[in-house]
Amino acid sequence: MMRWMFLALAIAVCLLLGLAVGEHWINPFAAHDALDRTILWDLRLPRLLTAFAVGGLLALAGAWFQVLLGNPLAEPYVLGVAGSASAGAVTGLMFVPDSAWVMSAGAFAGAWLGIVIVMVFSRLGPNRMLLAGVVLAAFWSAVLALLLALLPEQGLFRAFAWMMGDLSHSDLPLAVLLLAWVVALVCGLFLSRSLDVLLLGERHAEALGVDVKRLRQRLLLLASAVTALAVTAAGTIGFVGLVIPHLMRLLFGSLHRAVLPASAIGGGLLLVLADCAARTVIAPAELPVGVLTAMIGVPVFLLLLSRRA
Amino acid sequence: MTALISISDFSVTRGSHVLLSGLGFELHAGEVVVVLGPNGAGKSSLLLALAGLIPCSGSVELLGRPVAAFRRTEMSQAVAWQGELPPTEFGLTVRQRLELAAGEACAAVDAVAAAMDVALLLHRPLGELSSGERQRVELAALMLRNTPIWLLDEPTAHLDLKHQMHCIRMMREQRGAGRAMVVVLHDLQQAMAVADHLILIDGKGGAEYGEARKLFADDRLSRLFDAPLCMQGSLLVPDYGEQR
Repeated sequence: MMRWMFLALAIAVCLLLGLAVGEHWINPFAAHDALDRTILWDLRLPRLLTAFAVGGLLALAGAWFQVLLGNPLAEPYVLGVAGSASAGAVTGLMFVPDSAWVMSAGAFAGAWLGIVIVMVFSRLGPNRMLLAGVVLAAFWSAVLALLLALLPEQGLFRAFAWMMGDLSHSDLPLAVLLLAWVVALVCGLFLSRSLDVLLLGERHAEALGVDVKRLRQRLLLLASAVTALAVTAAGTIGFVGLVIPHLMRLLFGSLHRAVLPASAIGGGLLLVLADCAARTVIAPAELPVGVLTAMIGVPVFLLLLSRRA
Repeated sequence: MTALISISDFSVTRGSHVLLSGLGFELHAGEVVVVLGPNGAGKSSLLLALAGLIPCSGSVELLGRPVAAFRRTEMSQAVAWQGELPPTEFGLTVRQRLELAAGEACAAVDAVAAAMDVALLLHRPLGELSSGERQRVELAALMLRNTPIWLLDEPTAHLDLKHQMHCIRMMREQRGAGRAMVVVLHDLQQAMAVADHLILIDGKGGAEYGEARKLFADDRLSRLFDAPLCMQGSLLVPDYGEQR
Protein backbone atom coordinates (compact mmCIF):
# COMPACT_ATOMS: atom_id res chain seq x y z
CA MET A 1 0.00 0.00 0.00
CA MET A 2 2.86 2.35 0.90
CA ARG A 3 4.37 1.75 -2.52
CA TRP A 4 1.15 2.68 -4.30
CA MET A 5 0.92 5.84 -2.19
CA PHE A 6 4.51 6.63 -3.15
CA LEU A 7 3.57 6.15 -6.81
CA ALA A 8 0.56 8.48 -6.39
CA LEU A 9 2.84 11.09 -4.80
CA ALA A 10 5.33 10.63 -7.64
CA ILE A 11 2.53 11.28 -10.18
CA ALA A 12 1.65 14.58 -8.47
CA VAL A 13 5.28 15.70 -8.21
CA CYS A 14 6.15 14.74 -11.80
CA LEU A 15 3.06 16.37 -13.27
CA LEU A 16 3.78 19.60 -11.37
CA LEU A 17 7.44 19.45 -12.42
CA GLY A 18 6.41 18.83 -16.03
CA LEU A 19 4.29 21.98 -15.95
CA ALA A 20 6.75 24.14 -14.05
CA VAL A 21 10.02 23.22 -15.73
CA GLY A 22 11.16 24.66 -19.03
CA GLU A 23 13.14 27.46 -20.52
CA HIS A 24 11.08 29.70 -18.21
CA TRP A 25 10.10 28.31 -14.80
CA ILE A 26 6.43 28.89 -14.10
CA ASN A 27 4.58 28.22 -10.84
CA PRO A 28 1.37 26.45 -11.97
CA PHE A 29 -0.46 27.76 -8.87
CA ALA A 30 0.47 31.38 -9.52
CA ALA A 31 0.29 31.72 -13.29
CA HIS A 32 -1.69 34.94 -13.59
CA ASP A 33 0.03 36.19 -16.71
CA ALA A 34 -1.79 35.33 -20.00
CA LEU A 35 1.47 34.26 -21.66
CA ASP A 36 2.33 32.00 -18.72
CA ARG A 37 -1.13 30.45 -18.86
CA THR A 38 -0.78 29.84 -22.60
CA ILE A 39 2.62 28.23 -22.08
CA LEU A 40 1.29 26.12 -19.21
CA TRP A 41 -2.00 24.89 -20.57
CA ASP A 42 -1.60 25.07 -24.37
CA LEU A 43 2.03 23.99 -24.72
CA ARG A 44 3.36 22.19 -21.66
CA LEU A 45 0.25 20.30 -20.54
CA PRO A 46 -0.39 18.59 -23.92
CA ARG A 47 3.29 17.73 -24.22
CA LEU A 48 3.40 16.44 -20.65
CA LEU A 49 0.35 14.25 -21.23
CA THR A 50 1.81 13.02 -24.54
CA ALA A 51 5.03 12.07 -22.74
CA PHE A 52 3.05 10.34 -19.98
CA ALA A 53 0.90 8.35 -22.43
CA VAL A 54 3.83 7.38 -24.69
CA GLY A 55 6.01 6.33 -21.74
CA GLY A 56 3.16 4.29 -20.28
CA LEU A 57 2.43 2.60 -23.61
CA LEU A 58 6.10 1.71 -24.12
CA ALA A 59 6.36 0.25 -20.60
CA LEU A 60 3.17 -1.80 -21.09
CA ALA A 61 4.43 -3.08 -24.44
CA GLY A 62 7.77 -3.97 -22.82
CA ALA A 63 6.07 -5.94 -20.03
CA TRP A 64 3.96 -7.82 -22.59
CA PHE A 65 6.88 -8.62 -24.91
CA GLN A 66 8.92 -9.92 -21.96
CA VAL A 67 6.18 -12.42 -21.06
CA LEU A 68 5.26 -13.18 -24.67
CA LEU A 69 8.83 -14.09 -25.55
CA GLY A 70 9.69 -15.48 -22.10
CA ASN A 71 12.78 -13.29 -22.19
CA PRO A 72 13.65 -10.61 -19.63
CA LEU A 73 15.74 -8.76 -22.23
CA ALA A 74 12.77 -8.22 -24.53
CA GLU A 75 11.53 -4.66 -25.10
CA PRO A 76 9.04 -3.02 -27.49
CA TYR A 77 11.55 -2.75 -30.33
CA VAL A 78 12.96 -6.27 -30.00
CA LEU A 79 11.07 -7.56 -33.03
CA GLY A 80 12.33 -4.78 -35.30
CA VAL A 81 9.32 -2.46 -35.07
CA ALA A 82 11.55 0.54 -34.30
CA GLY A 83 13.61 -0.13 -37.42
CA SER A 84 10.64 -0.53 -39.72
CA ALA A 85 8.93 2.54 -38.23
CA SER A 86 12.11 4.60 -38.65
CA ALA A 87 12.46 3.44 -42.25
CA GLY A 88 8.82 4.44 -42.82
CA ALA A 89 9.33 7.84 -41.18
CA VAL A 90 12.45 8.60 -43.24
CA THR A 91 10.65 7.49 -46.41
CA GLY A 92 7.89 9.99 -45.58
CA LEU A 93 10.54 12.65 -44.97
CA MET A 94 12.11 11.96 -48.38
CA PHE A 95 8.88 12.57 -50.24
CA VAL A 96 7.47 15.48 -48.20
CA PRO A 97 10.37 17.01 -46.25
CA ASP A 98 8.34 19.67 -44.43
CA SER A 99 5.38 17.65 -43.24
CA ALA A 100 5.54 16.15 -39.77
CA TRP A 101 2.17 14.55 -40.49
CA VAL A 102 3.51 12.60 -43.50
CA MET A 103 6.50 11.51 -41.42
CA SER A 104 4.19 10.20 -38.68
CA ALA A 105 2.03 8.43 -41.26
CA GLY A 106 5.17 6.86 -42.72
CA ALA A 107 6.26 5.72 -39.25
CA PHE A 108 2.86 4.20 -38.53
CA ALA A 109 2.78 2.38 -41.89
CA GLY A 110 6.38 1.22 -41.42
CA ALA A 111 5.66 -0.05 -37.90
CA TRP A 112 2.70 -2.09 -39.12
CA LEU A 113 4.66 -3.46 -42.09
CA GLY A 114 7.25 -4.70 -39.59
CA ILE A 115 4.56 -6.15 -37.32
CA VAL A 116 2.81 -8.01 -40.16
CA ILE A 117 6.10 -9.59 -41.25
CA VAL A 118 6.90 -10.66 -37.66
CA MET A 119 3.41 -12.12 -37.25
CA VAL A 120 4.11 -14.51 -40.13
CA PHE A 121 6.82 -16.01 -37.91
CA SER A 122 4.75 -16.02 -34.71
CA ARG A 123 3.41 -19.52 -35.38
CA LEU A 124 6.98 -20.87 -35.10
CA GLY A 125 7.03 -20.23 -31.34
CA PRO A 126 8.58 -17.53 -29.18
CA ASN A 127 12.24 -18.43 -29.67
CA ARG A 128 12.10 -18.50 -33.46
CA MET A 129 9.91 -15.41 -33.51
CA LEU A 130 12.54 -13.61 -31.42
CA LEU A 131 15.28 -14.80 -33.76
CA ALA A 132 13.25 -13.66 -36.78
CA GLY A 133 12.68 -10.30 -35.06
CA VAL A 134 16.38 -9.78 -34.40
CA VAL A 135 17.24 -10.62 -38.01
CA LEU A 136 14.46 -8.35 -39.27
CA ALA A 137 15.74 -5.55 -37.02
CA ALA A 138 19.13 -5.90 -38.71
CA PHE A 139 17.41 -5.80 -42.11
CA TRP A 140 15.45 -2.64 -41.23
CA SER A 141 18.66 -1.03 -39.92
CA ALA A 142 20.23 -1.64 -43.32
CA VAL A 143 17.19 -0.19 -45.10
CA LEU A 144 17.31 2.82 -42.77
CA ALA A 145 21.02 3.37 -43.43
CA LEU A 146 20.32 3.25 -47.18
CA LEU A 147 17.45 5.74 -46.87
CA LEU A 148 19.52 8.09 -44.69
CA ALA A 149 22.31 7.98 -47.27
CA LEU A 150 19.82 9.06 -49.93
CA LEU A 151 18.09 11.68 -47.76
CA PRO A 152 18.80 15.34 -48.64
CA GLU A 153 21.03 17.03 -46.06
CA GLN A 154 18.30 19.30 -44.67
CA GLY A 155 16.21 16.30 -43.69
CA LEU A 156 18.99 14.54 -41.78
CA PHE A 157 18.71 16.55 -38.55
CA ARG A 158 14.95 16.02 -38.42
CA ALA A 159 15.38 12.29 -39.07
CA PHE A 160 18.02 11.85 -36.36
CA ALA A 161 16.01 13.88 -33.84
CA TRP A 162 12.98 11.64 -34.47
CA MET A 163 15.03 8.46 -34.27
CA MET A 164 16.33 9.45 -30.82
CA GLY A 165 12.89 10.34 -29.50
CA ASP A 166 11.08 13.57 -30.20
CA LEU A 167 8.07 14.78 -28.25
CA SER A 168 8.06 18.25 -29.76
CA HIS A 169 6.42 17.32 -33.07
CA SER A 170 3.80 14.76 -32.09
CA ASP A 171 0.97 14.96 -34.59
CA LEU A 172 -1.22 12.30 -33.07
CA PRO A 173 -4.23 13.79 -31.28
CA LEU A 174 -3.63 13.72 -27.54
CA ALA A 175 -7.05 12.18 -26.96
CA VAL A 176 -6.05 9.18 -29.12
CA LEU A 177 -2.91 8.60 -27.06
CA LEU A 178 -4.68 8.93 -23.71
CA LEU A 179 -7.51 6.68 -24.87
CA ALA A 180 -4.93 4.14 -26.09
CA TRP A 181 -3.24 4.26 -22.66
CA VAL A 182 -6.54 3.51 -20.92
CA VAL A 183 -7.64 0.80 -23.39
CA ALA A 184 -4.21 -0.88 -23.31
CA LEU A 185 -4.20 -0.92 -19.51
CA VAL A 186 -7.75 -2.31 -19.31
CA CYS A 187 -6.91 -5.02 -21.90
CA GLY A 188 -3.74 -5.82 -19.97
CA LEU A 189 -5.62 -6.16 -16.69
CA PHE A 190 -8.20 -8.35 -18.40
CA LEU A 191 -5.37 -10.69 -19.49
CA SER A 192 -3.36 -10.36 -16.27
CA ARG A 193 -4.10 -13.78 -14.75
CA SER A 194 -3.32 -15.52 -18.04
CA LEU A 195 -0.05 -13.57 -18.20
CA ASP A 196 0.81 -14.67 -14.65
CA VAL A 197 0.17 -18.29 -15.59
CA LEU A 198 2.29 -17.92 -18.73
CA LEU A 199 5.24 -17.11 -16.46
CA LEU A 200 5.17 -20.82 -15.51
CA GLY A 201 5.95 -21.79 -19.11
CA GLU A 202 3.82 -22.75 -22.07
CA ARG A 203 2.97 -26.31 -21.01
CA HIS A 204 2.10 -25.47 -17.42
CA ALA A 205 -0.05 -22.58 -18.62
CA GLU A 206 -1.96 -24.87 -20.99
CA ALA A 207 -2.32 -27.47 -18.26
CA LEU A 208 -3.91 -24.76 -16.09
CA GLY A 209 -6.49 -24.04 -18.79
CA VAL A 210 -4.91 -21.13 -20.71
CA ASP A 211 -5.26 -21.22 -24.49
CA VAL A 212 -1.62 -20.25 -25.00
CA LYS A 213 -1.75 -19.96 -28.79
CA ARG A 214 -4.66 -17.53 -28.69
CA LEU A 215 -3.11 -15.60 -25.78
CA ARG A 216 0.16 -15.19 -27.67
CA GLN A 217 -1.67 -13.92 -30.77
CA ARG A 218 -3.64 -11.38 -28.74
CA LEU A 219 -0.57 -10.30 -26.84
CA LEU A 220 1.53 -9.88 -29.99
CA LEU A 221 -1.19 -7.83 -31.65
CA LEU A 222 -1.78 -5.69 -28.56
CA ALA A 223 1.91 -5.07 -27.80
CA SER A 224 2.67 -4.35 -31.46
CA ALA A 225 -0.26 -1.94 -31.88
CA VAL A 226 0.76 -0.07 -28.74
CA THR A 227 4.39 0.11 -29.90
CA ALA A 228 3.34 1.35 -33.34
CA LEU A 229 1.26 4.11 -31.74
CA ALA A 230 4.03 5.16 -29.35
CA VAL A 231 6.69 5.19 -32.02
CA THR A 232 4.43 7.19 -34.34
CA ALA A 233 3.80 9.78 -31.63
CA ALA A 234 7.34 10.26 -30.40
CA GLY A 235 9.90 8.40 -32.48
CA THR A 236 12.04 5.64 -31.01
CA ILE A 237 12.58 6.09 -27.29
CA GLY A 238 14.67 3.34 -25.78
CA PHE A 239 15.03 1.88 -22.28
CA VAL A 240 11.52 2.79 -21.00
CA GLY A 241 10.06 -0.49 -22.26
CA LEU A 242 13.00 -2.54 -21.00
CA VAL A 243 13.72 -0.94 -17.64
CA ILE A 244 10.33 0.09 -16.26
CA PRO A 245 8.63 -3.36 -16.18
CA HIS A 246 11.63 -4.82 -14.32
CA LEU A 247 11.75 -1.83 -11.98
CA MET A 248 8.05 -2.29 -11.19
CA ARG A 249 8.52 -6.03 -10.64
CA LEU A 250 11.24 -5.21 -8.12
CA LEU A 251 8.91 -2.77 -6.36
CA PHE A 252 5.49 -4.43 -6.73
CA GLY A 253 6.17 -8.15 -7.29
CA SER A 254 5.60 -10.31 -10.36
CA LEU A 255 1.81 -10.47 -10.65
CA HIS A 256 0.51 -8.52 -13.62
CA ARG A 257 -2.48 -7.01 -11.89
CA ALA A 258 0.17 -4.88 -10.10
CA VAL A 259 2.98 -4.83 -12.69
CA LEU A 260 0.84 -3.51 -15.56
CA PRO A 261 -0.76 -0.48 -13.85
CA ALA A 262 2.53 0.32 -12.12
CA SER A 263 4.37 0.11 -15.47
CA ALA A 264 1.77 2.22 -17.27
CA ILE A 265 2.24 4.91 -14.62
CA GLY A 266 5.97 4.45 -14.03
CA GLY A 267 6.79 4.52 -17.75
CA GLY A 268 4.77 7.69 -18.10
CA LEU A 269 6.54 9.33 -15.18
CA LEU A 270 10.00 8.39 -16.44
CA LEU A 271 9.27 9.95 -19.80
CA VAL A 272 7.81 13.10 -18.19
CA LEU A 273 10.96 13.48 -16.08
CA ALA A 274 13.21 12.77 -19.05
CA ASP A 275 11.33 15.34 -21.12
CA CYS A 276 11.69 17.94 -18.33
CA ALA A 277 15.44 17.37 -18.40
CA ALA A 278 15.54 17.35 -22.22
CA ARG A 279 13.83 20.75 -22.32
CA THR A 280 16.03 22.42 -19.72
CA VAL A 281 19.57 21.03 -19.76
CA ILE A 282 20.70 22.99 -22.83
CA ALA A 283 17.73 25.42 -23.07
CA PRO A 284 16.60 27.01 -25.32
CA ALA A 285 17.75 24.02 -27.42
CA GLU A 286 16.44 20.54 -26.62
CA LEU A 287 18.19 17.24 -26.08
CA PRO A 288 16.73 14.07 -27.62
CA VAL A 289 14.47 12.58 -24.94
CA GLY A 290 15.69 9.04 -25.67
CA VAL A 291 19.16 10.01 -24.42
CA LEU A 292 17.64 11.18 -21.13
CA THR A 293 15.45 8.09 -20.60
CA ALA A 294 18.58 5.97 -20.75
CA MET A 295 20.54 8.32 -18.49
CA ILE A 296 17.80 8.39 -15.83
CA GLY A 297 16.38 4.87 -16.18
CA VAL A 298 19.54 2.82 -16.29
CA PRO A 299 21.24 4.09 -13.07
CA VAL A 300 17.95 3.88 -11.12
CA PHE A 301 17.39 0.35 -12.32
CA LEU A 302 20.96 -0.75 -11.56
CA LEU A 303 20.75 0.81 -8.08
CA LEU A 304 17.54 -1.06 -7.26
CA LEU A 305 18.91 -4.28 -8.74
CA SER A 306 22.05 -4.14 -6.61
CA ARG A 307 20.04 -3.33 -3.46
CA ARG A 308 17.71 -6.26 -4.10
CA ALA A 309 20.66 -8.60 -4.71
CA MET B 1 -17.88 -48.28 -13.03
CA THR B 2 -17.18 -45.75 -15.81
CA ALA B 3 -13.50 -45.41 -16.65
CA LEU B 4 -12.00 -41.97 -16.06
CA ILE B 5 -9.61 -42.52 -18.93
CA SER B 6 -10.32 -44.98 -21.72
CA ILE B 7 -7.95 -45.25 -24.67
CA SER B 8 -7.57 -47.68 -27.51
CA ASP B 9 -5.27 -47.96 -30.52
CA PHE B 10 -3.39 -44.99 -29.03
CA SER B 11 -0.28 -43.68 -30.81
CA VAL B 12 2.13 -40.84 -30.15
CA THR B 13 4.72 -39.65 -32.66
CA ARG B 14 7.54 -37.12 -32.39
CA GLY B 15 8.30 -35.81 -35.87
CA SER B 16 8.48 -38.90 -38.03
CA HIS B 17 9.46 -41.16 -35.09
CA VAL B 18 6.70 -43.36 -33.64
CA LEU B 19 7.18 -43.30 -29.85
CA LEU B 20 4.42 -45.75 -29.04
CA SER B 21 1.53 -47.28 -30.92
CA GLY B 22 -1.40 -49.58 -30.40
CA LEU B 23 -1.73 -48.90 -26.66
CA GLY B 24 -5.07 -49.47 -24.99
CA PHE B 25 -6.06 -49.26 -21.32
CA GLU B 26 -8.66 -48.01 -18.91
CA LEU B 27 -8.05 -46.02 -15.73
CA HIS B 28 -10.63 -46.09 -12.96
CA ALA B 29 -11.09 -44.01 -9.82
CA GLY B 30 -8.63 -45.00 -7.07
CA GLU B 31 -6.27 -46.69 -9.49
CA VAL B 32 -2.57 -46.03 -10.20
CA VAL B 33 -0.93 -46.90 -13.49
CA VAL B 34 2.87 -46.60 -13.50
CA VAL B 35 4.68 -46.00 -16.78
CA LEU B 36 8.12 -47.61 -17.08
CA GLY B 37 10.64 -47.61 -19.88
CA PRO B 38 14.13 -46.53 -20.89
CA ASN B 39 15.16 -42.88 -21.40
CA GLY B 40 13.62 -41.28 -24.48
CA ALA B 41 11.09 -44.08 -24.90
CA GLY B 42 8.14 -41.68 -24.79
CA LYS B 43 6.90 -41.90 -21.18
CA SER B 44 6.61 -38.12 -20.72
CA SER B 45 5.12 -37.79 -24.19
CA LEU B 46 2.42 -40.30 -23.20
CA LEU B 47 1.47 -38.09 -20.23
CA LEU B 48 1.55 -34.94 -22.36
CA ALA B 49 -0.69 -36.60 -24.93
CA LEU B 50 -3.14 -37.75 -22.24
CA ALA B 51 -3.20 -34.17 -20.89
CA GLY B 52 -3.99 -32.89 -24.39
CA LEU B 53 -0.74 -30.93 -24.51
CA ILE B 54 0.66 -32.67 -27.61
CA PRO B 55 -1.23 -34.33 -30.47
CA CYS B 56 -1.91 -38.07 -30.52
CA SER B 57 -4.00 -40.48 -32.54
CA GLY B 58 -6.45 -43.19 -31.59
CA SER B 59 -9.52 -43.14 -29.43
CA VAL B 60 -9.14 -41.19 -26.16
CA GLU B 61 -12.05 -40.69 -23.78
CA LEU B 62 -11.91 -38.71 -20.55
CA LEU B 63 -14.74 -39.05 -18.04
CA GLY B 64 -16.76 -40.83 -20.75
CA ARG B 65 -16.37 -38.07 -23.36
CA PRO B 66 -14.04 -37.91 -26.38
CA VAL B 67 -11.04 -35.78 -25.51
CA ALA B 68 -11.57 -33.64 -28.63
CA ALA B 69 -14.84 -32.39 -27.13
CA PHE B 70 -13.03 -30.81 -24.18
CA ARG B 71 -12.23 -27.12 -24.13
CA ARG B 72 -8.88 -26.23 -22.56
CA THR B 73 -10.50 -24.93 -19.38
CA GLU B 74 -12.66 -28.07 -19.08
CA MET B 75 -9.57 -30.19 -19.60
CA SER B 76 -7.77 -28.40 -16.78
CA GLN B 77 -10.68 -29.21 -14.46
CA ALA B 78 -10.52 -32.92 -15.37
CA VAL B 79 -6.78 -33.53 -15.53
CA ALA B 80 -3.84 -32.13 -13.53
CA TRP B 81 -0.42 -32.60 -15.13
CA GLN B 82 2.76 -32.35 -13.09
CA GLY B 83 6.02 -31.90 -14.96
CA GLU B 84 9.29 -30.13 -14.36
CA LEU B 85 8.85 -26.35 -14.18
CA PRO B 86 11.05 -24.51 -16.68
CA PRO B 87 13.35 -21.78 -15.28
CA THR B 88 11.36 -18.63 -14.52
CA GLU B 89 13.07 -15.25 -14.81
CA PHE B 90 10.45 -12.90 -13.46
CA GLY B 91 10.68 -13.35 -9.68
CA LEU B 92 7.49 -15.34 -9.14
CA THR B 93 7.36 -16.49 -5.51
CA VAL B 94 6.36 -19.93 -4.24
CA ARG B 95 3.13 -18.51 -2.77
CA GLN B 96 2.24 -16.91 -6.10
CA ARG B 97 2.99 -20.16 -7.95
CA LEU B 98 0.73 -22.11 -5.57
CA GLU B 99 -2.04 -19.51 -5.83
CA LEU B 100 -1.93 -19.79 -9.62
CA ALA B 101 -2.41 -23.56 -9.29
CA ALA B 102 -5.15 -23.18 -6.70
CA GLY B 103 -7.24 -20.74 -8.75
CA GLU B 104 -10.36 -20.04 -6.68
CA ALA B 105 -9.12 -22.18 -3.77
CA CYS B 106 -6.40 -19.75 -2.61
CA ALA B 107 -7.42 -20.22 1.03
CA ALA B 108 -6.05 -23.78 0.91
CA VAL B 109 -2.53 -22.68 -0.01
CA ASP B 110 -1.17 -22.35 3.55
CA ALA B 111 -2.57 -25.69 4.71
CA VAL B 112 -1.27 -27.55 1.65
CA ALA B 113 2.12 -25.79 1.90
CA ALA B 114 2.41 -26.98 5.51
CA ALA B 115 1.33 -30.52 4.60
CA MET B 116 3.84 -30.70 1.74
CA ASP B 117 6.70 -29.20 3.80
CA VAL B 118 7.07 -26.02 1.71
CA ALA B 119 5.61 -23.52 4.21
CA LEU B 120 9.06 -22.06 4.90
CA LEU B 121 9.61 -21.49 1.18
CA LEU B 122 6.41 -19.53 0.52
CA HIS B 123 8.01 -16.07 0.30
CA ARG B 124 11.00 -17.18 -1.76
CA PRO B 125 11.28 -16.67 -5.55
CA LEU B 126 11.07 -19.92 -7.54
CA GLY B 127 14.35 -19.11 -9.27
CA GLU B 128 16.25 -19.30 -5.97
CA LEU B 129 15.11 -22.82 -5.05
CA SER B 130 17.09 -26.03 -5.44
CA SER B 131 15.77 -28.70 -7.82
CA GLY B 132 14.40 -30.73 -4.90
CA GLU B 133 12.64 -27.70 -3.38
CA ARG B 134 11.12 -26.85 -6.73
CA GLN B 135 9.87 -30.42 -7.05
CA ARG B 136 8.24 -30.20 -3.60
CA VAL B 137 6.58 -26.94 -4.64
CA GLU B 138 5.28 -28.61 -7.81
CA LEU B 139 3.84 -31.47 -5.75
CA ALA B 140 2.16 -28.92 -3.47
CA ALA B 141 0.77 -27.20 -6.59
CA LEU B 142 -0.58 -30.57 -7.70
CA MET B 143 -2.26 -31.09 -4.33
CA LEU B 144 -4.14 -27.84 -4.92
CA ARG B 145 -5.63 -29.18 -8.16
CA ASN B 146 -8.85 -30.91 -7.24
CA THR B 147 -9.16 -32.93 -10.43
CA PRO B 148 -10.20 -36.59 -10.64
CA ILE B 149 -7.15 -37.51 -12.75
CA TRP B 150 -3.49 -36.76 -12.00
CA LEU B 151 -0.69 -37.25 -14.51
CA LEU B 152 2.66 -37.23 -12.72
CA ASP B 153 5.96 -37.09 -14.57
CA GLU B 154 8.71 -38.39 -12.28
CA PRO B 155 7.23 -36.92 -9.08
CA THR B 156 10.09 -38.23 -6.92
CA ALA B 157 12.90 -36.85 -9.11
CA HIS B 158 15.39 -34.61 -7.23
CA LEU B 159 13.76 -35.40 -3.84
CA ASP B 160 15.73 -36.58 -0.82
CA LEU B 161 14.74 -39.90 0.77
CA LYS B 162 12.38 -38.35 3.32
CA HIS B 163 10.46 -36.45 0.66
CA GLN B 164 10.47 -39.39 -1.76
CA MET B 165 8.74 -41.44 0.94
CA HIS B 166 6.40 -38.54 1.64
CA CYS B 167 5.52 -38.37 -2.05
CA ILE B 168 4.79 -42.12 -2.27
CA ARG B 169 2.62 -41.94 0.87
CA MET B 170 0.80 -38.95 -0.59
CA MET B 171 0.07 -40.91 -3.78
CA ARG B 172 -1.26 -43.84 -1.77
CA GLU B 173 -3.50 -41.52 0.27
CA GLN B 174 -4.82 -39.91 -2.88
CA ARG B 175 -5.48 -43.31 -4.42
CA GLY B 176 -7.39 -44.22 -1.27
CA ALA B 177 -9.42 -41.03 -1.67
CA GLY B 178 -10.45 -42.10 -5.17
CA ARG B 179 -7.92 -40.17 -7.26
CA ALA B 180 -6.81 -41.87 -10.49
CA MET B 181 -3.17 -41.47 -11.46
CA VAL B 182 -0.83 -42.22 -14.34
CA VAL B 183 2.71 -41.89 -13.01
CA VAL B 184 6.07 -42.01 -14.74
CA LEU B 185 8.71 -43.48 -12.42
CA HIS B 186 12.24 -44.81 -12.76
CA ASP B 187 12.60 -46.42 -9.33
CA LEU B 188 11.23 -49.97 -9.42
CA GLN B 189 10.68 -50.13 -5.65
CA GLN B 190 8.62 -46.96 -5.74
CA ALA B 191 6.71 -48.35 -8.72
CA MET B 192 6.00 -51.57 -6.81
CA ALA B 193 4.81 -49.50 -3.85
CA VAL B 194 2.06 -47.70 -5.77
CA ALA B 195 1.28 -49.44 -9.06
CA ASP B 196 -1.93 -51.32 -9.71
CA HIS B 197 -1.10 -51.62 -13.40
CA LEU B 198 1.98 -50.96 -15.51
CA ILE B 199 2.50 -49.53 -18.97
CA LEU B 200 5.84 -50.68 -20.38
CA ILE B 201 7.18 -48.60 -23.26
CA ASP B 202 10.16 -50.10 -25.07
CA GLY B 203 11.33 -47.06 -27.08
CA LYS B 204 10.85 -48.92 -30.36
CA GLY B 205 7.18 -48.10 -30.76
CA GLY B 206 5.91 -50.96 -28.58
CA ALA B 207 3.78 -50.45 -25.49
CA GLU B 208 2.31 -53.05 -23.17
CA TYR B 209 -0.32 -52.65 -20.47
CA GLY B 210 -0.87 -55.19 -17.73
CA GLU B 211 -1.40 -55.97 -14.10
CA ALA B 212 1.57 -54.80 -12.03
CA ARG B 213 1.88 -57.96 -9.95
CA LYS B 214 2.25 -60.16 -13.05
CA LEU B 215 4.62 -57.86 -14.93
CA PHE B 216 6.91 -57.46 -11.92
CA ALA B 217 7.05 -61.25 -11.54
CA ASP B 218 8.58 -62.20 -14.89
CA ASP B 219 11.73 -61.08 -16.71
CA ARG B 220 10.00 -58.55 -18.96
CA LEU B 221 11.34 -55.58 -17.00
CA SER B 222 14.86 -56.93 -17.29
CA ARG B 223 14.44 -57.09 -21.06
CA LEU B 224 12.74 -53.69 -21.16
CA PHE B 225 15.66 -51.93 -19.50
CA ASP B 226 18.29 -54.27 -20.96
CA ALA B 227 19.63 -54.59 -17.40
CA PRO B 228 19.90 -57.55 -14.98
CA LEU B 229 17.33 -57.52 -12.17
CA CYS B 230 16.87 -59.90 -9.26
CA MET B 231 14.32 -60.50 -6.52
CA GLN B 232 15.39 -59.69 -2.97
CA GLY B 233 12.59 -60.95 -0.79
CA SER B 234 9.52 -59.46 -2.38
CA LEU B 235 11.46 -56.59 -4.03
CA LEU B 236 12.68 -56.43 -7.61
CA VAL B 237 16.06 -54.68 -7.56
CA PRO B 238 18.94 -54.04 -9.99
CA ASP B 239 21.56 -56.78 -9.85
CA TYR B 240 24.87 -54.87 -9.51
CA GLY B 241 26.85 -58.07 -8.88
CA GLU B 242 29.09 -58.73 -5.89
CA GLN B 243 30.87 -55.76 -4.28
CA ARG B 244 34.65 -56.27 -3.98
